[in-house]
Amino acid sequence: MDGEFNLQTEKLENTFLIKTEGYINNTAGEKIAQFFAENPIKNAIFDLEKSKVINSIGISYLLEVIEQINDREGKIIFLNLDPSIEKTFKIMGLFQFSQMADSLDSAMKELA
Amino acid sequence: MEQNLLVEKLSLQAESFQEGFKLLTQSDSLKGIFKNFGNLLRTNLMITDLHLLHKVSPESDWKVIGSQNFDDADKKYLENNKQQTTYHDGGKYNASVVLPLTDYSYLGILMGSKLYEEGLSDFDKITLQILLQVFSSAYESFLNQKKEKQFIFDLNEKILQLNNLIDTGIDLAKFENQNILFEMALARMVSLTNSSSALIRVAEGNKEVAAQQVTFPPGLPADKILNSNYKIESSFEFRNTLYRFVLSEKESRKGVIEFGELDMMLLEAISRQVRTAIENNFLLKESLEKERIEKEMLLAASIQQKIIPEVLPVIEGYELAGENIPSREVGGDYYDCIDMGNGRYALIIADVAGKGIAAALLVNTLNASLYSYLQFNLPLTEMADRLNKLIYNASPPDKFITFFMAVLDSKSGELDVVNAGHNPILLLRKDGRLDKIDAGGIGLGMLDLGIPYEGQKLVMNPGDKLFLYTDGIPEAMDKDEIEYSDDRMIEFFIKNADKPAAEFISGIVGDVSKHVNGEPQSDDITSMILKRT
Repeated sequence: MDGEFNLQTEKLENTFLIKTEGYINNTAGEKIAQFFAENPIKNAIFDLEKSKVINSIGISYLLEVIEQINDREGKIIFLNLDPSIEKTFKIMGLFQFSQMADSLDSAMKELA
Repeated sequence: MEQNLLVEKLSLQAESFQEGFKLLTQSDSLKGIFKNFGNLLRTNLMITDLHLLHKVSPESDWKVIGSQNFDDADKKYLENNKQQTTYHDGGKYNASVVLPLTDYSYLGILMGSKLYEEGLSDFDKITLQILLQVFSSAYESFLNQKKEKQFIFDLNEKILQLNNLIDTGIDLAKFENQNILFEMALARMVSLTNSSSALIRVAEGNKEVAAQQVTFPPGLPADKILNSNYKIESSFEFRNTLYRFVLSEKESRKGVIEFGELDMMLLEAISRQVRTAIENNFLLKESLEKERIEKEMLLAASIQQKIIPEVLPVIEGYELAGENIPSREVGGDYYDCIDMGNGRYALIIADVAGKGIAAALLVNTLNASLYSYLQFNLPLTEMADRLNKLIYNASPPDKFITFFMAVLDSKSGELDVVNAGHNPILLLRKDGRLDKIDAGGIGLGMLDLGIPYEGQKLVMNPGDKLFLYTDGIPEAMDKDEIEYSDDRMIEFFIKNADKPAAEFISGIVGDVSKHVNGEPQSDDITSMILKRT
């Protein structure tokens, strides 16, 4: 491993499950933005279990994704947040327009 | 009449213009606002052939927005355009527009054919001008919103940095091992400064080779960070070890940028926090080690005290007393009087070179071996030889025991003695003669050369006194480092030997204490007196 960021996506009913692995920085943000540009989806669940570090460039991309989904009147839910990332999201205001769930099941119920 | 119709049509479109303004201001990106404006133009003016272009400054080149089939040569319609809007009769395009925008960039519009291939009517021209004004206002509003969002984002980022810095200080203080500490510090450093990667390199002394190297992201080769053209560094030295912190490639949405003053401050702040954590951990370990040693010392002292006799045997026709005063550090003095049966007693005094646990354990070994050998009634010199071999094999080269032993036949007063490197034992005869007993050999465990120990046979007559001691008495020093001395000890012995045995022992201890006058005791003080009554 040389620290490369990985993005895995999976279609689940009316949403996409997006799993990230690695540092969410500019490169990661571009990959995320590209996915959303190619897939104008309404709902998204982000599983950040394998991402323990994020910088403000990565956050700016996530904010854009949140805005896009809000414009489509969809929902975005985050799962498995590291405590430091959860705190970062709170401070940067991400939870004003997105949610956090304890499990994939509860996230799916929220989107049902 | 025609004028009235125009006004009526425009008033009908007013709502559409308002909707257009709303749509434009809600665009999610610069590309989005241009795209939405293109759609507005197409629907309001029924244009089928429309191209939008943008250039960020008067000197830069026009960039086509969205169009797939644009002929670059058509940019000439914009280059020669001195006016904001130019209408072309019979050309490829009905109109071309160069619209200066609030951020000093330009929007270029090339409008080709309409749906029904008509030219632009007056109404179209007025609509176009209104839409251009709508776009100008919406674009300015969009930029202001963007600026406002960026301002809020920057403000939150600063709050986050401050918060992270405080949290980092707390979190780093809780680390359990250095690798975890470094991994945590690296993660916080890159996050706070938007760096792509980071490195902590630990090297001892002036060595070039790293003793420890941790990178972020994990697994990234250190050379990639060290050889980067965009990096900042901070370092500190602690206990002859150099800790080097390197951050590489500050990220932005537009690519790699130079690190700023704030980044350097953040890097230094975290490296200081790491230093504090390492120092605190070192001090904690040192204090725990000290505590552990003190506990071991107490344990060793308790072991030693258990083998020092609490009560000496009562020997008929003799008076016997002894005392051991250990120094603060666990020492290696030992004395005993073992009842061998049939009126025979073994008097022992010994001193292990050195102090601490090793000395206490060696005394313990000597004590256990003595009890074992005494059962076999071995000649004293042979016993000394065996003890020498045993201690030699059981102890490190710098550890040995000075040892004196006398086996007393209490009925006859015969003394069988051996002195293995111990201070001369003093025998004061009733008539005042003083014999110094030093026959024997080297200290136990010093060498194993097979040189036999030499014994000595003496007889204690009534009125004779045997004084056994360790060097803690003559070598006790006052604040000027003046020793109590052999001479003063012998003088005290001669003057006070007639006193009851216990009184003599407490007396000499008191005299030594008077000499040192409160100076800390650096060695064990052990003495024993045997008087034949």
